[in-house]
Amino acid sequence: MKWFTSFSIKQVALAFIAGLLVLVSLVGSFAAYQTQAVTHSMTLQNENAAQSELAAAVQRLLSQTEDQSVKLASWDETRQQLVLPEYYTYWRDQRVYESGMLNNRHVRAALYDPSGMLLEPSPAGISIPARLPAGTPPHQNASWLIDDAGTVALYYAFPVYSDEQRQSLLGHGLIRLDFMPALLRQDALHFTDIASVGLALKLGETLATSDLFSRLSFSARPNPDQLRFQTILSRTLLVLFVLLAAMAVLGFMAYNRLLVRPLGCLSQVIDAMQHGRFSPNPSRSQSMRIRELENIRRSLYDYQLQLRELHGSMEHQNREFHTQARQDTLTGCHNRRAYEEDWERFRQELKTAPQGVAFLLFDCDRFKTINDTYGHAKGDRVLSIIADALVMALRANDRLYRIGGDEFATFLSRTTPAQAKQVAQRCQSLIDAAGFADLGIVEPVGLSIGIAFCAADQLEQVDELPKQADIAMYTAKQPGRTRIALYGEDTERASQTLVASRETSALFQALASPGMIEMHYQAIHALPGRQVDYYEALARIRYHGKLILPEAFLPVVSSRRLETEFDLAVLNQVDADLSSGQLPTGCGLSINLSAQSISRPEVVSQLLELSRHNARHPLMLEITETSLITQMVEVRTYLDLLRTVNYRIAMDDFGTGYSPLRYLVDLPVDVVKFDISLVNKLGQDNRAGQVVADFARMMSGVGYSLVAEGVETEAVLRKVESLGIAHAQGYLLGRPIPLSELAASFAAEGAKATCNT
Amino acid sequence: MRIYLFCLLISVFPAAAHAVIAQQEMRPGIPANADYLIGEPGKPAVLLLHGFLQTRDFPTVATLTRGLQDAGYTVLAPTLSLNIPNRAQSLACEAVHRHSLDDDVAEIGYWVGWLKSHGHRSIVLVGHSFGSLQLLAYLSLKPDAAVKAYIGTSLIEAQIGTTARAALIAQLEDRVLGKQRALVNQPLSFCRKYPSTPEGLLSYVRWDQARLLAALRQSPVSVKLIMGDQDNVMKRGWLKALALVQVPMVIVNGANHFMDGAHEFDLLEHTLKSLDTIQPVPSR
Repeated sequence: MKWFTSFSIKQVALAFIAGLLVLVSLVGSFAAYQTQAVTHSMTLQNENAAQSELAAAVQRLLSQTEDQSVKLASWDETRQQLVLPEYYTYWRDQRVYESGMLNNRHVRAALYDPSGMLLEPSPAGISIPARLPAGTPPHQNASWLIDDAGTVALYYAFPVYSDEQRQSLLGHGLIRLDFMPALLRQDALHFTDIASVGLALKLGETLATSDLFSRLSFSARPNPDQLRFQTILSRTLLVLFVLLAAMAVLGFMAYNRLLVRPLGCLSQVIDAMQHGRFSPNPSRSQSMRIRELENIRRSLYDYQLQLRELHGSMEHQNREFHTQARQDTLTGCHNRRAYEEDWERFRQELKTAPQGVAFLLFDCDRFKTINDTYGHAKGDRVLSIIADALVMALRANDRLYRIGGDEFATFLSRTTPAQAKQVAQRCQSLIDAAGFADLGIVEPVGLSIGIAFCAADQLEQVDELPKQADIAMYTAKQPGRTRIALYGEDTERASQTLVASRETSALFQALASPGMIEMHYQAIHALPGRQVDYYEALARIRYHGKLILPEAFLPVVSSRRLETEFDLAVLNQVDADLSSGQLPTGCGLSINLSAQSISRPEVVSQLLELSRHNARHPLMLEITETSLITQMVEVRTYLDLLRTVNYRIAMDDFGTGYSPLRYLVDLPVDVVKFDISLVNKLGQDNRAGQVVADFARMMSGVGYSLVAEGVETEAVLRKVESLGIAHAQGYLLGRPIPLSELAASFAAEGAKATCNT
Repeated sequence: MRIYLFCLLISVFPAAAHAVIAQQEMRPGIPANADYLIGEPGKPAVLLLHGFLQTRDFPTVATLTRGLQDAGYTVLAPTLSLNIPNRAQSLACEAVHRHSLDDDVAEIGYWVGWLKSHGHRSIVLVGHSFGSLQLLAYLSLKPDAAVKAYIGTSLIEAQIGTTARAALIAQLEDRVLGKQRALVNQPLSFCRKYPSTPEGLLSYVRWDQARLLAALRQSPVSVKLIMGDQDNVMKRGWLKALALVQVPMVIVNGANHFMDGAHEFDLLEHTLKSLDTIQPVPSR
């Protein structure tokens, strides 16, 4: 699950700025909320302050009035008026103000006798009760408010005593003042809206001062500090937000200019580099203001230059590799990979551009022998000369492919069979003219060429061309041929070659599937008694119920260099036959091996494994003398090893191969098997027959055990016997038979069915 | 007459242990009080009277009271009621003055009687300023026999400013006769405005320097004056006039009308000297 999505740096920047703005908005909102809370708190505080100061003002007014009452009560002249009230009005209207007892003409004083009666009526316009309200405590202060014709008046009554001990009550004093003006005149109301202060009192209603505050209505004065605070805070928040927004925009622009754009450019350059596109003029890229980015840009620039150089070098190397991957290192021509690619591409082109196509397959005659004889270095040189000659012979646009060891191929476009043959003949001519003698090669080096042609109107058969060319090449290799064969024209025995092709398939299938190789056993008779001494195991391939003989598949084994694989398959089958117990104890076996296999460790290992049968079935290895043994030291070492496990070594087909005497000298050979070509010479009464006879006697004389192969006539057999050759084999004495048949014969012969061991 | 005694217990000063406040009802509804400081039994009692519209707490009087008491004299320092119940404050000049010299003399008589009732058979009247005048007015009537001597300090007549005394007296007498009750606002003593009843004002205005000098000459008891030569309140020539009538007089050099400051001790010293000359009369 893809849980992570990459973001561009611009998106990150936008997200950051958006987050910043959101954060600022949140902070601003929080600040606004807090401001509102503070404002609300301040409003409450303001209201509380207003309430407190109003209560304090009321209390102060009452206290002032009480203080005035105390002063009045203790004032000598007050007492004098209560005793001698003749000049009461003078006291009331003048003395109380002159003396400073009352400092405001709006405040009035009055005196009552002990019964509560006013000493003298008040002047007009001044409402002073003629009698103290009923219930006024005689010895206590009392205060109340009353609405006098729309004016709220505060009355404060107090007792006046004759003595300090308050024993002798002279009467009562009364202070009257206009409550609201007196309250608001104090200049002590800072939080209270003075205009809003009111006292809900009905006309004539009396209200005790203790209940005063509950009836007092007011509202708090708007706090200028609070308003200023709100204004300043709001402006500050607004300015802060605008500044932050502006800074965010400017920051984003700067960020975009200083980071995003340069990083984008760097990213584009890197992407382009990643896709192999390099800036044509990297040095022209604009320098960056951020030092680190500039360092990156320079590093990237240097890196890009290096990468360009490296890229150029790699492209060159890739082309080199591409070429090398499609070029045969030895000959310089195209290799099999190039062949397959070009052939496939060519086939595709043919679909859109029909034309006559010729497929030419070249194969060097006896190249294997040359290689084995003169060594790989010279063999390689031969191949190079052949390739050079073929390239020279081909047309300008034709390509030469080395598709195997000594196999070359080409396909000619827009051609005819005649033109293809001309090309082939030109190739052969150049090969014939090549200087192989300069390499010390005395044998003629020839080239067989198989040609397959497909006309423009038969392109559906173009896929068959390689196979047809192969068949034609085999036809060309037939003895007596001109070594150039055109499929369909020169392949008279097409069916035969088809069989050969079938046997090739059988060989590969047999190597892949154990059991398809079937061993036939041909008896080798001891002379002169002619009794069976041991058997030679001969390989056959059973393919679709029919046996394929070695003459058919051994050339394929040789040409495909399948000697080791084939010998391993043969050894496996021999092991199986020996393990089956169908051969009587004591019956020895002779097994054919190629010289190449003897130098392969896996074959030697298999032989060591097989040697466990030596106790019951003496085993002999026949090394084909026709093979060119190049690794003489290794072969001798392995043969010595095998002899230690009781293998006997036989030189097979003696007289047909290379350097037979050298092999006899260098290798630990016990048995020499004269090839049928030599044995047949024994039947001739001429110098050749004499040479062979003398040679045979000489070999016997130095201790080699000789076996005459291919004894097919009685005359030859007698001659062999006369020469003292120890063993003989051939159709005269017995044909190769399968194991089952051999086992059956042993069973039929019963107790006599034993080998002469 | 009811007497209320309130004992103020002060343990710091032994003399204070003998201080009481004496109270008497001078007229119906007008009680008055006095500090009564008990001295040694063999010494005469001193009735010490304050000046015009003042109380016994006036500094000159209070200092002299303490000095006399410290010297072993019984002191009675009343505060004249001026027709104010239990007057305790100096009465403002602008206040309604319902009192008269007759009332003041009567109250002096009451306090002399009060001292006698408390066993004092030898009483010395000591007054300051206008109080000296009021005591002299008391002596001009029939003083109690217990009064043995008179010491007047800073004695001063009833000054009426620039108003012609005779005309004023005549005017006041007309008002009294006509029973005009309107207040008369006439300067008196140190008061520029002195609203008073005609009869009250008339009682004071009658006591000019001449009447004072006559009273001094006719005093039934020994007289002693203590005057300051720097007294700016008294009229020029008043000391000469006193000297002319040969009244025993001590002039304190440098002392003003109130004999304050260091002259308080001069006043006390001369007062004590005068008191020492009085033959003691055993108390009852």
